[in-house]
Amino acid sequence: MRAAERPVGGAGVSAAIVTGAAGGLGGRIGERLAAAGHDLVLVDLDPRVEEVAAAQGARGVVADLTRAEGVEAVVEAAGTEVGVLVNNAGITRDARATKMTEADFAAVIEINLTAAIRLTLALEPGFIEGASVVNLSSRASLGNFGQANYSASKAGLVGFGRALAQRWAPRVRVNAVAPSLVDTPMTQAMPPEVLAKLVAKIPAGRIGTPEDVAGIVAFLASPDAAYVTGQVIYACGGRTVAP
Amino acid sequence: MSDLFVWRQEPLGDDPGAVTRALTEAFAAVREALEERRPVVVVVAAGDLLGQGEPLDAAVATGLLGMVRTLGIEGARPGWRINVLAAPGIAAHRGEGALAVAAADEAADEEDPVALTIAMLAESALTGQLLQAGGANLGKLPA
Repeated sequence: MRAAERPVGGAGVSAAIVTGAAGGLGGRIGERLAAAGHDLVLVDLDPRVEEVAAAQGARGVVADLTRAEGVEAVVEAAGTEVGVLVNNAGITRDARATKMTEADFAAVIEINLTAAIRLTLALEPGFIEGASVVNLSSRASLGNFGQANYSASKAGLVGFGRALAQRWAPRVRVNAVAPSLVDTPMTQAMPPEVLAKLVAKIPAGRIGTPEDVAGIVAFLASPDAAYVTGQVIYACGGRTVAP
Repeated sequence: MSDLFVWRQEPLGDDPGAVTRALTEAFAAVREALEERRPVVVVVAAGDLLGQGEPLDAAVATGLLGMVRTLGIEGARPGWRINVLAAPGIAAHRGEGALAVAAADEAADEEDPVALTIAMLAESALTGQLLQAGGANLGKLPA
């Protein structure tokens, strides 16, 4: 039985794991996957993930995915049948390369990329036939001023996903979503004039919403994307082709 | 040409922690070279950019490409020259040093597209670009 064909709310329901789920984007992704009938496991270092999970009827796991015990906690919570994994957890430590500390470079790589790698590989035995891994990359993977660390981490997720897509096919599909500017607390904290300049570069004429991204994640996790693996979908309002 | 700095990405093995170390070491080394105004070429395996080899090697190869593109953007004002060269094959199928073309001075072999391209990049004003030495990318996704 394929992941999306499993019954909801009983024996045979597969788990859908979302990391970085205490934030707005992770929460929206969780809502979409829960609506698709998955047994939702929301993961975050932030204890508020338990409130988010409770509100969605999901299980919340507070875990530091840079540590072995954090990964083990998620594997244990996921159980033996994992249908979806969304690697959404991430941080930024922006600075020009000349000012960026090696510690800040390494921290972003470790959390955004290496922790996702560890969790994905640790969950491998539990992925059911037809399972889907969705990595949250970024338009910044193509290069973005002040984000040498973030660009590397998000581009690294693309290569990792391409390799797993080939290695784990046809049992597990692996894809990525690469958003551009998304309306989150981080962008809301930006000076309005700075945000306006950034939005002006987006052909769609507006900032992306968490729903914009969550919808694509839900698509990639669904049987509608059964023939899609090793790919990246840019959810950027056309920013990747604009001057 | 003698001041060219070449970073070669070698196979990582199977320890995920090596991903953080490899990318951070590359960042530190490349930045130092750029601040010394040396042109930089980062050599990765073309197959790893497409994920045809080991997952960790692929993560680092594409991660390096993302990093170089950002450094290319940031380096526009100071005039940095940094590019990625995709050499044929995948890192895991190559022995230690197999991707090595340590300096353009060693690029005497006119039959070697990797050496030739490195020599060209040493003298070029190109920056932030990915060059493919070989045709493994043809008909595939752009990296």
